[in-house]
Amino acid sequence: MIKTQNLTKIFQTDEIETSALNAVNFNVQKGEFVAIMGPSGCGKSTLLNIVGLLDNPTSGSYLFNGVDVSQMRESQRTKLRKGNIGFVFQSFNLIDELNVYENVEMPLIYLKMSASERKARVEAILERMKISHRRKHFPRQLSGGQQQRVAIARAVAANPGLILADEPTGNLDSKNGLEVMNLLTELNREGTTIVMVTHSMHDADFAHRIVNLFDGQIITEVKKQMGE
Amino acid sequence: MKNIFKSTFRNFVRKPVTNLINLLGLAVSLALVIILSVYSYSELTTDNYHKNGNRLYLYGDLTGRMYMPAILKDQIDLNVPEVESAVRLAGSWEAPVFQAGDHDPITSDLVFADVDFFKLFTYQAAEGNLENALKEPMTVVLTKSLAEKLFGKEQALGKTLKLNNDKELTVSAVIKEPEANTSLKFSAITSIATRKIVQANGEEFTDWGWCNFQTFILLKEGAKSDESAKKITTLFPKNKEDQLDYSKLKLNPFQTVYFSKFSIVENYLQCGDKQKVMILLMVAALVLMIALVNFINISSSQWMERLRQTGVLKVIGASKLSILKNVLSEAFLLFLMSLFLAILIVQILFPFISNYTGIHFNPQLLYKPSFLIGSIAGTFVLSLIFSLIPALRISSSKAIDNLKKTVEPGTSNSIFRSVLVTTQFVIAIVLIAFTVLVQKQVNFGSNNLGFNQKNIIGIKLTSQLQSKKEVFKKLLQERTTVSNVSFSQYFPGQPLSFWTSNQVVDGVKKEFKFELINADAAFFDITRLQLAQGRFYSDDLTTDHNKIVVNETFVRENKLSNPIGIKLMAGMAMHEQISEIIGVVKDFHYKAFNQPIGSLLIQNQSWTSYCLISLNTKDFNTLHSTIQGIKAAATDLSPSFPVEISFFDQAVENMYQSELQFRRTFSLFAGCAIVICCLGILAMSLFMCQRRIKEIGIRKVNGAKVAEVITMLNRDFVKWVAIAFVIATPVAWYAMHKWLESFAYKTEMNWWIFALAGLLALGIAMLTVSWQSWKAATRNPVEALRYE
Repeated sequence: MIKTQNLTKIFQTDEIETSALNAVNFNVQKGEFVAIMGPSGCGKSTLLNIVGLLDNPTSGSYLFNGVDVSQMRESQRTKLRKGNIGFVFQSFNLIDELNVYENVEMPLIYLKMSASERKARVEAILERMKISHRRKHFPRQLSGGQQQRVAIARAVAANPGLILADEPTGNLDSKNGLEVMNLLTELNREGTTIVMVTHSMHDADFAHRIVNLFDGQIITEVKKQMGE
Repeated sequence: MKNIFKSTFRNFVRKPVTNLINLLGLAVSLALVIILSVYSYSELTTDNYHKNGNRLYLYGDLTGRMYMPAILKDQIDLNVPEVESAVRLAGSWEAPVFQAGDHDPITSDLVFADVDFFKLFTYQAAEGNLENALKEPMTVVLTKSLAEKLFGKEQALGKTLKLNNDKELTVSAVIKEPEANTSLKFSAITSIATRKIVQANGEEFTDWGWCNFQTFILLKEGAKSDESAKKITTLFPKNKEDQLDYSKLKLNPFQTVYFSKFSIVENYLQCGDKQKVMILLMVAALVLMIALVNFINISSSQWMERLRQTGVLKVIGASKLSILKNVLSEAFLLFLMSLFLAILIVQILFPFISNYTGIHFNPQLLYKPSFLIGSIAGTFVLSLIFSLIPALRISSSKAIDNLKKTVEPGTSNSIFRSVLVTTQFVIAIVLIAFTVLVQKQVNFGSNNLGFNQKNIIGIKLTSQLQSKKEVFKKLLQERTTVSNVSFSQYFPGQPLSFWTSNQVVDGVKKEFKFELINADAAFFDITRLQLAQGRFYSDDLTTDHNKIVVNETFVRENKLSNPIGIKLMAGMAMHEQISEIIGVVKDFHYKAFNQPIGSLLIQNQSWTSYCLISLNTKDFNTLHSTIQGIKAAATDLSPSFPVEISFFDQAVENMYQSELQFRRTFSLFAGCAIVICCLGILAMSLFMCQRRIKEIGIRKVNGAKVAEVITMLNRDFVKWVAIAFVIATPVAWYAMHKWLESFAYKTEMNWWIFALAGLLALGIAMLTVSWQSWKAATRNPVEALRYE
């Protein structure tokens, strides 16, 4: 599903040049659950952004479902991202002015889905995430765990094949964190590919494979044995 | 205090674009407010500077009869003891030509007045003594500017100058032009005794029927104007045939005369238009309102962003009061900077604005301590009013909330901001609609006159040209580029004489009142007047010498069922002659469009003052050489008098000078108001995009396209314009309706004016906002989310 070769990303300001990713070869198979770990500033989020088609690499190639997307224009990336990739962030990134229902509905609107289909889809997801009773509430009226569940609901609303999670439990207590990880595991079991950036070894344990990044390079890859 | 300056400066530099928008918007609006309010002040205090102003009156009917007989003054002096002094004033019928020594002659203006003129009206002498300056005949008092034109920097007192290349006048004094606005506009003033010599007309000073003067009255202290007016009115000899309504003759306080819309043919007494002044004052208030809305929007959004800084200040020990003082001082400093910048803008730009709009006031008014103190005090009050509420909110919020940024702008804040921006759009739409209407009315006025004004030039007949008219005509007709030549008394904007004539028509005695034009037959051809009945008179028929043509209003007002063939006496009594109406012309706007068309009589008489020349070329070079040739020919025939050539259409436009100036002034200031409004919208869109950075990022991550984000960001502004349009339309309709009421002939208020104003406002808003929206929408969502 994801195949990168010599992926490099350099951030340039007036004075300094920072290499965030350095010739990274990173592959993810369909249905996999991969955790990316590493210290702060090692390039985890940069890799996730490129994999998520939010950013272009400086050099190298990136094949997403067999299509080279490394030099795509933003409009093309947006088109490809829609319905194929869902995002879960550490800080939830819900829109404060929209209620729970509207936040979850948003990606479906951009997919030009009909209102009745949207309604059915959102209701079902909210039920599944057990936040249906909070559908009229605004993000500020929810706990952190509830907000992250809404964010996951929004990420899966369009039935994407890939979910990218950037430290999804980083702002949550252990109980809520575990709940979120269970949700992601459940989604993965149903066939959704998940790539998760995390600092937590505990969370990484939920993944099939752990990729360790350091200074923009993959230094180790640990594959869990099935049934472990 | 130093800290306040430092923090104001640093905060300014931190957000240079929005702060510059705020500062410039305020400065430009204050500059406009200064110009318009000083102009309005100058207009509204016209003639207030005369020391005896509270006892000074103009006798007459300001809505009608303004001309009084000369003999009235003699009778007042004899019979009305409450009157301290009565002064007659009259302009000269023809513009006088002055010549000092061998210098070039100068066409100027001249007023005749009684000796007490300077007792009634306050003027300061630059040279000589004003008390007896108008006592002797053949003496003249000049304004400083005319004296300098005639004599240069030399002293003018005691020197002589030639009037109309004929009589000599001795300069008895020179006066300084008054600093304040005045309705009396003249360059030279001479005595009534002089008038008796240079414009000799024996009956003018003895006959009650000769009404050529305005009579100004200075009442004694304590005298009642109503009673004195009644006494003066009783002085008129009662004549049964006289249909004058004497009850309308009053003593009108001189300070109210300027705005009374009186009508006299000479230019020495000018009137103002209070409605225009009030409209411009209102524009000033609207401009200020727009700038204040910008200030509220920008400063409140900035202060919300600075909450964290306030939190830190509180944690390290700043008291509520010190934070309150900081916020208020910063606001006051911004207002003060804007005020000084505004004064600078006025200094630099006023000469250009004045030139373009015709708005005049004495710039010295800007340096008066009262103006400066008033402006600073006003600035202080404005800054206090408009920054007190945010200052109180910021200073009273809890430090911990500030640090956590949990003091969120509530719904009421966003509604308040929406109301403010909608108000700005309401003002913008009203101003745009009104600007379109003013333009339409002026165009309507100058394009629907009912006579030809193109390719005609006019030459003022000097006394030398008068005596060589036929030679001049022959010289002109020899030119291939000249298609016709007419001698006429009419030239757009020049005064016409008003006459009354008592005649018996069909056995009924009628009093005809009319304005009179002497013109030859070619006049009809050049001006292409259209016949409604009968025929024009012809130069080829000697029997047409005493024939006249009247306009439709003449027929209508005098209720003539069959005007052709009616005989009446027209012209001066000493040239009494019975003329016959042979034609009726369709009404045409021989006077300015905002004045009703009067009864007009055109007679075939040779006493004319203009030569109208119709040209048959439109090529610029040919036109130029033709005019130069005509001017040379005229100058050859009139070596002693300057020859003035004017374009007929230009003269027509000059009749609308006041409207044109108003259009320019209004358009300029409305344009500035709209620009300031745009600056505010730009600042608002900047603020909104910044506030919604995270939301834009999230939406883009979730599949929103650039166009969808732009639409989302612009939607609010479209909504505000739509609401503003609904509110502004009836407001604009009412304002426009009221303004048009002052015109005798008015353009239509079409629906498209409002639609155009709404669309323009929408277009302006979209252009202003879309740039910011596009920038925000094309930003990498990763950056947006990292920003959070």
